[in-house]
Amino acid sequence: MQNFKNKVYHFETPPPEAIWDKIAEELQNEKVIQMHGHRKSKFLFYGATAAASVIIIFLGSLFFNKNKDLIPTAKIQTKTDHLLAQKIKDSITLNQKMLESIIHNPQKKEVAEKAFKNESNKKYLTVAGPEGQPVKISPKVATLIISADHEFPPKPVWSNKISKWQKIMLSSTASANLIDLVKLAAKSDDLE
Amino acid sequence: MTAQSNHIPSESDLIKGCIEGDPQMQRLLYQRFSSMMYGVCLRYSDNTEDANDVLQEGFIKVYKNLVKFRGEGSFEGWVRRIFINTSIEHYRKKVKLYNVSEVQENTVEDTDLSALDSLAAKDIINIINELSPGYKQVFNMHVIEGYSHKEIADLIGITEGTSKSQLARAKGVLKKIIETRVGK
Repeated sequence: MQNFKNKVYHFETPPPEAIWDKIAEELQNEKVIQMHGHRKSKFLFYGATAAASVIIIFLGSLFFNKNKDLIPTAKIQTKTDHLLAQKIKDSITLNQKMLESIIHNPQKKEVAEKAFKNESNKKYLTVAGPEGQPVKISPKVATLIISADHEFPPKPVWSNKISKWQKIMLSSTASANLIDLVKLAAKSDDLE
Repeated sequence: MTAQSNHIPSESDLIKGCIEGDPQMQRLLYQRFSSMMYGVCLRYSDNTEDANDVLQEGFIKVYKNLVKFRGEGSFEGWVRRIFINTSIEHYRKKVKLYNVSEVQENTVEDTDLSALDSLAAKDIINIINELSPGYKQVFNMHVIEGYSHKEIADLIGITEGTSKSQLARAKGVLKKIIETRVGK
């Protein structure tokens, strides 16, 4: 490098002092702006966090309130189901008791008219039909079917039908399947 | 002054302190480089007012861009480039470079400027400042800073040919100025 190039390249001269003051002022302003930006960011962050918290709390309260509402309903529903089950069970028990009485009582003809007339208001008995369908018959008819002795059948067709229904009624009383009986009773109650 | 304030921080400490926004470190960085960079600004500027503006603008850029300094090459070189670029930007609108006719390369190299060697730096800068802004930029960048014509072309936004022509013209004008002064 030529001599003059070196001289010029390394030439130094102090700038006016006022320049630093301006630079310092500008840096300070930049700092303030940055701080404001920082504060703004912080504000946005905390604001967003608070908003998110409020939303979560709100949704949470909705959820729990809904559950609170559901809990008594569920309890009531459970209670209702329990009562209904008990009612069905009682109905089945009574149904079976009446059938047993009709089938096994030696004084069959009196059964329908007397035995259960005042004991319950059950107008019909439910028996399982040939294909398992619930069939409702009155206690009187049930008594007639069971007590039919085929001695003077008016027609062979009637005789066959009576025999068939006797079998059905006997098999109905022999059923040990509680679920089948519950279903049967429930259907019969609906029909009632 | 306390003993601690007399402690001269290393370049990396200065950089780190400035990045963290430490006013004391910013001041120390300014003190370390301001005279040197003011010399650069004076060479590229038409007057001291413009040089002052470029110095201020350049230092703000230095502080803002310190995080980008990767430590590749000298820090002083990095700072100097910022000031040269700031000077170029400052005068980009002012300076109008004309695409002059191509001048033979040997004519450029043969221009004898050795008369400048005997002058003081301040006087040399005064002579350089007599050049038009366009000539001055190219002369400073190529002869003093050592930029290639390709680099000058990219930085200023001219062709390499224009850069060479500008330099040739600048040298010719300088020679005439020197002859005039010597003749006096």
